[in-house]
Amino acid sequence: MAISSVPKTNAPPPGTAGISVRDLSVHYGNFEALKDVNLSIEAGLVTALVGPSGCGKSSFLHSLNRLTDLVPGCKVKGSVRFGNGGESCGPGVDVLALRRRVGMVFQKPNPFPQSIRRNFEIPLREHGVRRKEISEVIEKCLRDVGLWDEVSDRLDRSAMALSGGQQQRLCIARALALDPDVILFDEPCSALDPMASAVVEEHIAALRGRITVAIVTHNLAQARRISDRVAVFWIRNGSGTIIEHGPTKEVFSNPVDPSSRCYLEGGCG
Amino acid sequence: MTSLISSRFTTRRSRVQDWLFGGIGAIASLVTLGALGWILADLVKMGLPHLSVEFFTADMKSAGREGGIGPMIVSTFLILVCFLFPAIPLGVGCAFWLSEYVQGGSRIARAVTGGVDLLASVPSIVFGLFGMSFFCQVLGLGFSILSGGLTLTCMVLPILVRTTLSAMTSLPPDLRPAAGALGLTRATTLWQILLPAALPGIMIGITLGVGRALAETAALLFTSGYSTRWPESIHDSGRAISVHIYDLAMNIPNGGGKASASALVLLLMILAINLVASLLADRCLKSQYIS
Ligand SMILES: Nc1ncnc2c1ncn2[C@@H]1O[C@H](COP(=O)(O)OP(=O)(O)O)[C@@H](O)[C@H]1O
Ligand SMILES: [Mg+2]
Repeated sequence: MAISSVPKTNAPPPGTAGISVRDLSVHYGNFEALKDVNLSIEAGLVTALVGPSGCGKSSFLHSLNRLTDLVPGCKVKGSVRFGNGGESCGPGVDVLALRRRVGMVFQKPNPFPQSIRRNFEIPLREHGVRRKEISEVIEKCLRDVGLWDEVSDRLDRSAMALSGGQQQRLCIARALALDPDVILFDEPCSALDPMASAVVEEHIAALRGRITVAIVTHNLAQARRISDRVAVFWIRNGSGTIIEHGPTKEVFSNPVDPSSRCYLEGGCG
Repeated sequence: MTSLISSRFTTRRSRVQDWLFGGIGAIASLVTLGALGWILADLVKMGLPHLSVEFFTADMKSAGREGGIGPMIVSTFLILVCFLFPAIPLGVGCAFWLSEYVQGGSRIARAVTGGVDLLASVPSIVFGLFGMSFFCQVLGLGFSILSGGLTLTCMVLPILVRTTLSAMTSLPPDLRPAAGALGLTRATTLWQILLPAALPGIMIGITLGVGRALAETAALLFTSGYSTRWPESIHDSGRAISVHIYDLAMNIPNGGGKASASALVLLLMILAINLVASLLADRCLKSQYIS
């Protein structure tokens, strides 16, 4: 998995970077979107984040890779640590290096409107991968998401010409190309048709054990299928927070919190 | 029952409204098209008999009543070059800075966009006077193609800034987070992702600017001047086609035919540039989204 030429500072061995989040809060201006979030995301496992819309799941993910920095007026407080690395929340962090270690896949597939090859080349060049190694990385990552056979003869054609499901798998491959320790998925299947969604889900599930995965999903059946741990987000006192978390089986079979029970049984939320 | 009647009534009323607005729209479009056709027909009728290969290559004679517009075509091209060279980096750079490096509502952003809009509303004759005193005199460039081009740069800059800015703000909103999540720097994001994506829009903006520059007379009269000699360098004075048309129409008795022919040439140039630009923009879009 490791691309030897990518310099990586403070990196724990592949697949061992868990995430430890303590007292995290996210503000948009005066609005507190997330409050008192505490969660340990275990290394190498798949953690599903579920909960109704607007309770701060995306804000949570975006605060992990500091994409919140791009939102004017957004303030994140608390502590986030990857593996045994240092604090990644707050000032003085090498945000670009952090984002290299923490990949992200969005709800809507977002390839750059350029060739498939350029979609890999731009980030790989940025992070110092040598030109002659790039083709190899592209092939390996496209194979990882089962896309190689479909696109190997059209790498120089536009990525936008692919179907939605192919685009999303391309985005996963592009994230994998940087050899991250963690990938954050924000509802990666909700813009796809059921067939494409199943294929994407399969490839996410296949990352288990190799990479730490946190996935936001509205599909409870999907959460049940692919996750080892689940965290339920809910709005309490006007702000989102985690009301319950634990091993997927336990949480689904015997939720403790009444709201989370109601939600997981499909009754409310 | 009443609700049914009233809904039927509103349907009929909205149908009448539909028809009315549709009709007005159609008439307005026809009038516009008609005006264009009339102008074209007039130009062709008056100008076409004067068009020949010689008209494109020869010197003018008898104050423009005879001969061609060779020197004017060359001057016009040189003025365009002197205009575009500084205008593209300045206009595009300013728009990039506004869209990527300063926050939309901030005081500095509002000051700059306000200034740009103010600049856009200044009459071109004022730019002519400014160019004459600043470029010709203060900077000592004299009556020259360079002075004319730079004056046009100042005049057309707002168009370039505005069109580039709107190309940047109408980019898909998910490009920036996508780039950010891959740990790309702002520079890489701007140059390798946003700029290529905005390129078709920017090219259209440049074309608009070129059209505006080609059509300009007042800003050039006092800057690049009206010498009808073949320009030897950008430091020579040179007469743009638009200035030549103005001169023929206003000052030269019986200059109307050649003026129409020159206008026809100008129009053809603008048309050709538009065509090339839209083909390029099209190809660019296609390479990004289709093939
Ligand atoms: N850029 C933003 N500016 C202001 N408020 C935002 C922004 N993004 C999200 N919010 C607010 O934060 C809350 C949580 O949103 P989000 O994290 O998107 O929730 P989820 O992903 O669970 O649907 C919502 O109330 C939303 O309106
Ligand atoms: Mg969301």
